[in-house]
Amino acid sequence: MDTLINDLKNRLIEILNLSDVTPEEIDENAQLVGGDLGIDSIDVLEMVVMVEKDYGVIINNKDIGEKVFSTIAALADYIQKNSPKLSS
Amino acid sequence: MSTRKKILIAGIGLISPLGSGLKETTLSLKKNISAIAPLDKTVFQLRQSPPLPVGQIRSVDQSPLPRTHTLAIKAAKLAMNGISATPDAVIIGTTTGGILHTEELLSAEVTDPGQYRHHGLNSVAEEVAGAIHCSGPALTVSTACSSGTVAISMALKMLQSGQAEYVLAGGVDSLCRLTYYGFHSLQLVDHTGSRPMDIKRQGMSVAEGVSLLLLTCDETATPLAQILGCGLSCDAHHPASPHPEGKGAMEAMQQAMNNGAVQARDIDYINLHGTGTPDNDIAESKAIVALFPEPPPLSSIKGATGHSLAASGAIEAAIVTLCIREGFIPGNTGCLKADPECGLSPILQPRQQPVRTVLSNSFGFGGNNACLVIAASDYPTSGLAISTTSPLTILGKACISGAGHTENSMGSFSRLEAIAGVLNGKILAKDLPARAVRRLGRFSKLAMAIADAALRDSGLQNSPDSVFLGTGWGALSETCSFLDKLRESDEKFPSPLDFVGSVHNSAAGQIAIIHKATGTNITNSGGDYSFEQALLATDTFLDDSSPGAFLLAADEAHAVLSPLFDPSITPETPLADGGGGFYVTRKAIPGKISIQLSFFHKYQETTLTELINAFTEKESAEKECAMILAGIPAADCRDGKRQLDIFMRQTGLDIPVIHYRKFTGEFASASSVAAVMAIHLLEESVVARDRKILVLGFGKYLSAIEFMYQ
Repeated sequence: MDTLINDLKNRLIEILNLSDVTPEEIDENAQLVGGDLGIDSIDVLEMVVMVEKDYGVIINNKDIGEKVFSTIAALADYIQKNSPKLSS
Repeated sequence: MSTRKKILIAGIGLISPLGSGLKETTLSLKKNISAIAPLDKTVFQLRQSPPLPVGQIRSVDQSPLPRTHTLAIKAAKLAMNGISATPDAVIIGTTTGGILHTEELLSAEVTDPGQYRHHGLNSVAEEVAGAIHCSGPALTVSTACSSGTVAISMALKMLQSGQAEYVLAGGVDSLCRLTYYGFHSLQLVDHTGSRPMDIKRQGMSVAEGVSLLLLTCDETATPLAQILGCGLSCDAHHPASPHPEGKGAMEAMQQAMNNGAVQARDIDYINLHGTGTPDNDIAESKAIVALFPEPPPLSSIKGATGHSLAASGAIEAAIVTLCIREGFIPGNTGCLKADPECGLSPILQPRQQPVRTVLSNSFGFGGNNACLVIAASDYPTSGLAISTTSPLTILGKACISGAGHTENSMGSFSRLEAIAGVLNGKILAKDLPARAVRRLGRFSKLAMAIADAALRDSGLQNSPDSVFLGTGWGALSETCSFLDKLRESDEKFPSPLDFVGSVHNSAAGQIAIIHKATGTNITNSGGDYSFEQALLATDTFLDDSSPGAFLLAADEAHAVLSPLFDPSITPETPLADGGGGFYVTRKAIPGKISIQLSFFHKYQETTLTELINAFTEKESAEKECAMILAGIPAADCRDGKRQLDIFMRQTGLDIPVIHYRKFTGEFASASSVAAVMAIHLLEESVVARDRKILVLGFGKYLSAIEFMYQ
């Protein structure tokens, strides 16, 4: 799980161009959207694409999306439970 | 003071998914038919199915030109049918230009630049101008989904101020992969077809179409209706989402009514922007509820036509003209049960009802809002004529070139060293807040850095409230990245971030957010004359009620796309980019330098003579002008040099001429850097304080910008 969380932090830094933060500085339990990182709805959509592309997990429901993207820990948990790539 | 002029709609060229021409469109609207249907492969082949519902024009003439251009030329001919006058200007709102064609060429790895010559947004307006023999400015407005309405607004202002007597203006966009997959990636597409204002609505349907209006102040013309007023604003809130309370929308609607000298109670019908996205319809409704204690009948036609982006506002301007002439109100097609959260009751079925005045709304990405008030041609026009006599005064300047920011660029220029090149990205963004620009590509960073530096140079604390930005090619990095990822993923994973960043007006929208600039916000794209177009837009819109505007132009060099798109750049040409910009105000300030676009026409023998006459008729032209900065794009080298030779010989001007592209390198908005050079030369007293410096453009267009101390 820690590996997945770390992996996600690195991917977020890359796809969202968070060039001024390091993975260590990101708190996986902190509020993701509207929090310190300045992540908004378009970033979430970019993350939706990344999660489907890299982990094979489709998130196309707004209510699920809100829960899944609440924190990086929640996102990792959802991916862990639903990814065909991780379970195989 | 005189009463202001009546601006009449004298002709309409309309092609939408509902039909071609006014008759077919009226019939469809009266039957409440929706043209939204799954995309068929005649426009482009999909690699992912099932196809999404779109608003597609079923029959587009075969032509070697891209679909957008073909539609625009056909509509221009329809609008000009039976009219003997030639427009003084053409203003086209478009977001897609020739991208559909470009997508196919890039996919087939075509490397012949000649094949990409219709990629540029400006090529649509230029083809239209050519088809109707207009030798005046062919202007391009790209403010996303409000483009067509902004184009009509610009025409209205140009006619009201006496800059023109006839203007052909409107919007056009064709379906393409960029917008089809782009809006899909933002989860803004309703998979069952758009149902604006409905409680179950899930989004829009991307569409295509064109509408061009021939507008005139010639009262002998046979009018279809009149444009009473326009209102432009910027949310300055978010790149892709509307202000949740509809603040910018409200401002634009109020301004349009003020400009048209009508009150909310005078409006008979509101044509909603009504895209069908949950956020738009709520925000727009809130704005209407706030402005209209008792809202008049209202509806969105986008459930019938789909959302044709840049064309939509112009299509709706044409359709409300029909409503006024035929006394009917179109239904809000697709809406079965209105969303109570919107708090409005849209007209669900078309109805016959006299309509004299209409408010028509268009809102777009970048928070770019534009509204029109359109009225019956005999509706009384009140209010005073616009009289703008003050010059545009420069309060601050800035530029970026290969040599660095303003100081380094002008330092090198003073030593007569070339400043061409591509500035390192880190140096470019050194003064920009890292977090605020993390999503921006090179073009947006260039524009933002120039705006910030121009504000610092002014020494003023407060930012201007308006933004005018010219760009030849827009956000090439994001456009390339979007199309690359689309292709590489077999059209499965389009990037929402790249899509939002790829629109031409993304940079101006970002600048508005940072500077809280909620006034007029326009992006023009005019190839090598993009700065000149932005200057013309500034001159047309900026009045002395505004604290001022950013007048900017920038272009990014892109290793793959620049040599394909820009005919002045060959694979051997060293890449160069940058731009220049100003904080300008509409106030005369003694001791400050003014900027004035005194000439802008398509090159012809006759217009060259006009340019020459403009500088020889003055008895003391030579005493007035101290120096010329001449811009000849490499692609027009032979013609441009010949034009300059004739100009110098026939005016008899014996003053130094600097070929500024030798310093700046080849990029579309190089003339904006030349403008900063001109001011630098005046400020450094290289020329006498009582004399002018001219920045002249030669090639496909002839332009003259004058700089002088007041």
